[in-house]
Amino acid sequence: MSSISDEVAADFKDALQDLKVNSRPEISNLTLIAKENTEHAQAISTVLENHIRTARPEWRLPSLYVLDSIVKNIGTPYTVYLGRGLYKTFMEAYSKVDQPTRKAMEGLLRTWKQPVPESMDSRPVFPLEMTSDIENALNKMRSVQAQMQSQRQVHALPARPVIAAAWRNTPTPPQNGAQFGVPVDPRARQVPGQQFEQYPQPTPTPDQFGQLMGSVDLNELKEEVGKLIATTQQAFALNYSDPSLQQKLNALLQLKRMLDTQTLPPQQLEAVRNQIRALAPPPAPTPVQMPAFVAPPIVQTPQQPPTLTFQPPAAAAPMNLAQMLANFQSPPAVTNPSPAPAPAAPNLADLIARMTTPQSSAPNPAPFYPPSFPGPSASTPVPAPAPAATPVVAPPNNLAQLLSSFNKPSAAPPAAPTPPPFNPALPPHIPNLSQLLAHAQPMGPAPPPPNNASWLLNALSGLPNAGTPSIATPIGSESMTRQSSAPVNVQNDVELTTASMKQPRLHLISRLYDAKPNICTTCGRRFDATPQGREKKARHMDWHFKMKDPDAAKRGVHRSWYFTEKEWIEYREVDETAPDDTANGPSGAAGRVKKQAKDRYVLVPQDVTLAHAPCPICQEKFEPQWSKDANDFVWMDAIKVGGKIYHATCWEEYSKGAGIATPSTPDSVLGKRTAETSTPASGKKLRAY
Amino acid sequence: MIALPGLNLGAQAPEPLNAPTTSATRTQELSANTEYRFEVSFARSLTIKLVTGTAEYFGTELAPATTYTFSGAKGAVFTWHGCRLEIGGEAESEYVAEETQMMSAANAHFALEALRERAHQMRDAGPRVLVVGPENAGKTSLVKTLAAYAVKSGQQPTVVNLDPRQGMLSVPGSFTAAAFSSILDIEEGWGSSPISGPSPTPVKMPLVYHYGLRDAEEGTVFRPLVTRMALAVTSRLEDDPASKSAGFVIDTPGAVAQGRAGVYENIEHIISEFSVTTILVLGSERLYSDLSRKYSNSADAIAVIRLDKSGGCVDRSDTYMKALRHAQIRAYFFGNSEAGLAPHSQSAGFEELSIFRVKEECAGSDMQFNDGGDAYGGAAEDTIYERVTPSSEIVNKLLAITTAAPTEGHAAIRDASVRGYLYVAEVDEGKKRVKLLAPQPGRVPSTAVVCGRWPEDVASLVG
Ligand SMILES: Nc1ncnc2c1ncn2[C@@H]1O[C@H](COP(=O)(O)OP(=O)(O)OP(=O)(O)O)[C@@H](O)[C@H]1O
Ligand SMILES: [Mg+2]
Ligand SMILES: [Zn+2]
Ligand SMILES: [Zn+2]
Repeated sequence: MSSISDEVAADFKDALQDLKVNSRPEISNLTLIAKENTEHAQAISTVLENHIRTARPEWRLPSLYVLDSIVKNIGTPYTVYLGRGLYKTFMEAYSKVDQPTRKAMEGLLRTWKQPVPESMDSRPVFPLEMTSDIENALNKMRSVQAQMQSQRQVHALPARPVIAAAWRNTPTPPQNGAQFGVPVDPRARQVPGQQFEQYPQPTPTPDQFGQLMGSVDLNELKEEVGKLIATTQQAFALNYSDPSLQQKLNALLQLKRMLDTQTLPPQQLEAVRNQIRALAPPPAPTPVQMPAFVAPPIVQTPQQPPTLTFQPPAAAAPMNLAQMLANFQSPPAVTNPSPAPAPAAPNLADLIARMTTPQSSAPNPAPFYPPSFPGPSASTPVPAPAPAATPVVAPPNNLAQLLSSFNKPSAAPPAAPTPPPFNPALPPHIPNLSQLLAHAQPMGPAPPPPNNASWLLNALSGLPNAGTPSIATPIGSESMTRQSSAPVNVQNDVELTTASMKQPRLHLISRLYDAKPNICTTCGRRFDATPQGREKKARHMDWHFKMKDPDAAKRGVHRSWYFTEKEWIEYREVDETAPDDTANGPSGAAGRVKKQAKDRYVLVPQDVTLAHAPCPICQEKFEPQWSKDANDFVWMDAIKVGGKIYHATCWEEYSKGAGIATPSTPDSVLGKRTAETSTPASGKKLRAY
Repeated sequence: MIALPGLNLGAQAPEPLNAPTTSATRTQELSANTEYRFEVSFARSLTIKLVTGTAEYFGTELAPATTYTFSGAKGAVFTWHGCRLEIGGEAESEYVAEETQMMSAANAHFALEALRERAHQMRDAGPRVLVVGPENAGKTSLVKTLAAYAVKSGQQPTVVNLDPRQGMLSVPGSFTAAAFSSILDIEEGWGSSPISGPSPTPVKMPLVYHYGLRDAEEGTVFRPLVTRMALAVTSRLEDDPASKSAGFVIDTPGAVAQGRAGVYENIEHIISEFSVTTILVLGSERLYSDLSRKYSNSADAIAVIRLDKSGGCVDRSDTYMKALRHAQIRAYFFGNSEAGLAPHSQSAGFEELSIFRVKEECAGSDMQFNDGGDAYGGAAEDTIYERVTPSSEIVNKLLAITTAAPTEGHAAIRDASVRGYLYVAEVDEGKKRVKLLAPQPGRVPSTAVVCGRWPEDVASLVG
């Protein structure tokens, strides 16, 4: 390995070390680096493998996505180098990560058995021998687990469909593992104009309300909040550029203030506590009271013999053995019957160690005496190893949406929101924080501004913020587009005279270089070493990624028309690093569910000249058409921009090239203005959990 | 309007021997404050990759480990800190220069930057800079460097090109203005105007006017157009704070620096229309002294500064300039990058086109300027253009699609901005049809199109 290889590898390692969430821009950046350094593929592959094997469990998935992105986007020689150690890399990571991550990994594995979507090459990403070795090993593991699980069912209390009840009022159905079947190939998902898409997230673990507990000790709760604040602060200190952490912290502080200053009814305290625990699982000894999952849909009755075939883990009990064991070893809750003492706990690493020969197909469950488990509540997650890594476990119900019913458009919070009725017959529905806050607001000197409840909740739940961009983007709301060159403590005293031009002032050059130490390796643009700078760079990298469109040529790209004088005068430059909620924002804002261009329409204009004007782009006239939706005559595939009406498809094409935003709802001609328009601030989306 | 597949667009330009002659690369070490100067013909290409250190090309930083390919270019890779380059391909000439003018370009930038910062604080207008000097003095290179440094410093400078011999973000013969908020394209010079697909460097949004003459003649078109552009640029800056405080830089043709007996009417006109605050004179002592005499002590105190011409500036032959213009025109229709653009060929009846051409007597640079106080038009309304019926005379020429209706007055046509250009591939006088190359599909524009007398004809644009 040459010294350059070492250097490249070291750089790559550094970049990997920063990758803590599934940040698409960072992943694409790493992919680009790998692509540009294929001559050092071996060194890079080694670094990547080592990282996946040794990084903290919660950072492994992002780096696996890097591996995935590299093999799919670059292919050889990376597939060769990474293929060699794939079994080991995969299995070692798999053994250490939590259940949602495993699901995601399984999803990745599936895609590796297939060709790269839309690629000319019909061969699978990795040779089938490699992937099938891994699969065999996984199957073995599953069968062992399935056995243990069925054993556990024997001892378990009858499962109650708790979750179903808890989810009753959620507008979004709970996610299930199916989504991980989606190929992760960025190209397959990359639609020009869409940005800030994320790699799929691990399935959020089911949310943890579901059962009412006894009264909540307020002091205890405050303490828990306090602890969570402390860990979040630590995490924030390590990663202060992460707006979601910052938000979470703000939200927690807000919550603390609320707890300190207001009296909340017991159920609400309960809900708060549950949510807090969902965010930061208390240490193991905490009573295992929160049912965290449903019983599998196919409940195995105690009579059924343990089955050795694999049960799809979709809705099944958690399979993170480490967690199960941690639970198991913790002192049993007082309220629950004590389980029988456990036999020696097997650990996954052992389990895998026993299976390192992929060829052996005989499951080897014998040595594992299935432990018994207390109640349906098998999982109190093990505390995360380090604060920085505490994964924010998002409740699967979309709180943001739920909230929108409380903080509906501009209306003040409803005077008396009706809490969902408690049905004593069913597992009680716990009001969630949003409802709680909606109640809380009228009760005391509520500190939050109007939309704060949603902001707070979103922040707490780690969901993208809906509808409160001004609060949601504390960073973005600063002037991002204009930052004068950061002086590196050098006075710029250059006078505008002929003599002055000749003086050497090499010290000033640092303003052009060191002041912005963070360089884009693709185009050479520099960024500040500030959180804002990093955020801009992330958006910038995402932009680069978006622009690598291999199919562009096929579509017949052409030169667009120039602006008219008026358009030019009114145009405001779009910086590809600007958050996309700025006036001219680049088209295809983050995750925006864009209305299909051809489905757009405008009412046939009353104005005579406008009514006779052709599409300024293609000069084609519009044909009026009756629209049931609008209950009026409309022009289909039309959009009004700056007083002119264009074909929506023409405009889209044009604006794509020009980097102009397609107005999401022009002049209120579209019937419905739905949640799709509330775009989460992209900066946050990048890091959304 | 029908598309004509027969135009055989596949055969874009006879592909020159663009591949590097050898795949071997060589290493070039540069110590701090030196530059590697090169010239590479249109038939060859030269690749440059920054291996270590930092380097810039007319102010725009080279990305590390990225290979840049130059063809038909003359330029210099400069380093403030020292660097190692990996160079491939064949240069017509290449050498390392120890003495460069980069420090004065940087000083000029920092001086302007101080003005911009002040302007920003006061919500005032930033520096409005005019760059003048004889041909090949390095004006365009300086403008580029100043723009690049400003962009790098987070500014959004506007650049105005008034040189018809070389286009900026458009074809030669056009005058353009564009605000730069994103990095300049090292290989393409400035970057690219919008295209319908992804672009590796952020696109720039030029405002384009058609000048269509080779020289800055006196009177009929040049000055009114300057007036018009100044109006547009000023309007933009007035309500675009980012543009306002960053100000603008105007690039000019060497010809305006010639003047007559110490009087530079075109320069004076530009200065007054654009309210120039700073004049950078490249090279010429005489021009500097004439201008500073006139402006330095005037009431509105315009700073007049002289910068030395860089030893790297090369005199460019007519052949080279012509090839450069052809490359710019080709790039307008077909793009520059490997991916390329797909223009559209179409056929139109004579009656579908309203073609105007500047009258011969208005085009000459020697025409006596009749300064009667009327709007810079020695020519009265509607005497600027003549309507032309398509004939073999317009074959291989560019037609500027204006925003003016054919029925509007000549001044309106002259002042109208341009939406794009058509290329006349063929005229069939018998069938009264014209074969055109358009940047994109669609109908032939019903607006006035202006046929320039400049740039020179481009044969073989379409195969
Ligand atoms: N330092 C340098 N090293 C090498 N080549 C250079 C250098 N500076 C300028 N050149 C080249 O010299 C030529 C003339 O420079 P430039 O185009 O900037 O001059 P100009 O004054 O704008 O010319 P014109 O009057 O024709 O517009 C260009 O090809 C340019 O790339
Ligand atoms: Mg020039
Ligand atoms: Zn970049
Ligand atoms: Zn159209």
